[in-house]
Amino acid sequence: MKEELFVSGRNIPNIDPYLNIWHWQIPFYLFLGGLAAGIIFFAAYFVVSGKEKEMPATVKWAPIIASIVLVIGLIALFSDLKHKLYFWQLYTIIRPTSPMSWGAWTLMAITPLSIVWVASYMKEMFPKWDWKFGFLNHFEAFVIKYRIPFSWIMMYLAIILGVYTGILLSAFNARPLWNTSILGPLFLVSGFSTGLAATMWISNNEHERKVLSRIDIVFILIELFLIIHLFMGFMAGTAVKTEAFQLFLGGEFTISFWVFVVLLGLVFPATLETLELWGYHVPKWIPPLLILFGGLIFRFVMVEAGQITRFLY
Amino acid sequence: MIKYNSKREGTHYLNPYLGGVLMGLLMIVTIFISGRELGISGAVKDTVVETAHAISPAAAKAHPYYGMYIKDGQSPMHSWLVFEVLGVFIGALLSGIIYKRVRKPFVEHGPSISSKRRLVVALIGGILWGFGTRLGRGCTSGAALSGSSTFSFGGVMVMLLIFASAYLFAWLFRKLWT
Repeated sequence: MKEELFVSGRNIPNIDPYLNIWHWQIPFYLFLGGLAAGIIFFAAYFVVSGKEKEMPATVKWAPIIASIVLVIGLIALFSDLKHKLYFWQLYTIIRPTSPMSWGAWTLMAITPLSIVWVASYMKEMFPKWDWKFGFLNHFEAFVIKYRIPFSWIMMYLAIILGVYTGILLSAFNARPLWNTSILGPLFLVSGFSTGLAATMWISNNEHERKVLSRIDIVFILIELFLIIHLFMGFMAGTAVKTEAFQLFLGGEFTISFWVFVVLLGLVFPATLETLELWGYHVPKWIPPLLILFGGLIFRFVMVEAGQITRFLY
Repeated sequence: MIKYNSKREGTHYLNPYLGGVLMGLLMIVTIFISGRELGISGAVKDTVVETAHAISPAAAKAHPYYGMYIKDGQSPMHSWLVFEVLGVFIGALLSGIIYKRVRKPFVEHGPSISSKRRLVVALIGGILWGFGTRLGRGCTSGAALSGSSTFSFGGVMVMLLIFASAYLFAWLFRKLWT
């Protein structure tokens, strides 16, 4: 009997031709990471610009959400790992060319710092709060003294975190839908928009909500602009790219993308926010809920769709 | 709790006769755009079928009624009615906001009954309505409006009987609103 042995790189279960390794944890984490980045960025921004007093929910209350979602996101990421006990190895090296390394280190920094941020406002939020230990009081005084430089650091970290959630995908050069540099700014802007939405939702201050709403409309417009550019890039790209784009033009993800992300998650809430600025009464929970929902679906769609796109052969 | 206010100050409603004509014209637009008539209760049915299918696929498929709407590889939610209802929500919300009818959730009820009673009665009414729409294969939109626009005898009958019975039952249950 004559046997032939085929060695092919084209049949690796769960990797090639289709990637099937990232499930709900990754898009869920990307959503939470972007959300936290948005909340932290604007909290820090309003401290740096001296508007701390005008924006109480943005600066003091919303960062509580950021800390919580960062921890939940990290739990989701951790639960996705195959070899959970080796996660510390990410922290044995700093590799500037690896988005994973950037992300791991940024998260290592921003998660505890966001908790420090919240802690430094505890006495303002809960006047009866007492840290019990002297060294904690000293530390709090130190953070409050250097709040402005601290805010600058948080702004930088928030931008890196927001961009990294997109770059993580675009670094996969074997997946045409992900392999575009627009994903970085797109995820950043989308994350900032969800962060603004969450802050708007919890704010009771009319003036604060108006300020956030105005910024959010601008961010939604930028996001739409980037989405258009993303698709223009695909349309003008090679056959591989146009094929990937077909998933959104009549393919499997057409409805989830155009109806739930673009229409219900961007255009409609932006319309409602505009109506609100014009003086119409809009229930305050509806635009934020839609934006958060759209942001979540967007990440699920991008991660799911990206995994099934591939280079033709 | 906001009490029932018959005047509804500050809100705007369209003239009901004009509204009726617009609804009729809507049928033309719907048929022009989608090639079929509109409906609402079908979307509720699709949602129910999909929910049953998600919880127990085998039982839903074996079910004589749900089974009719389950096809392999296609979700019952993939129906244009579901998206139409989604659009109705968007349009209704926009209209409510622009004409200043949107406010905090509240229970609207007649002066002589409590909110709780109103909710119980609404629940019973909703159940009867849902049951009726499956018997009549459609509600005021799908059976009465769309049906009668195609001169379907069933549709016309549904339309006439909805209004005739409503006329009768409104008198019987007038205590709930006056």
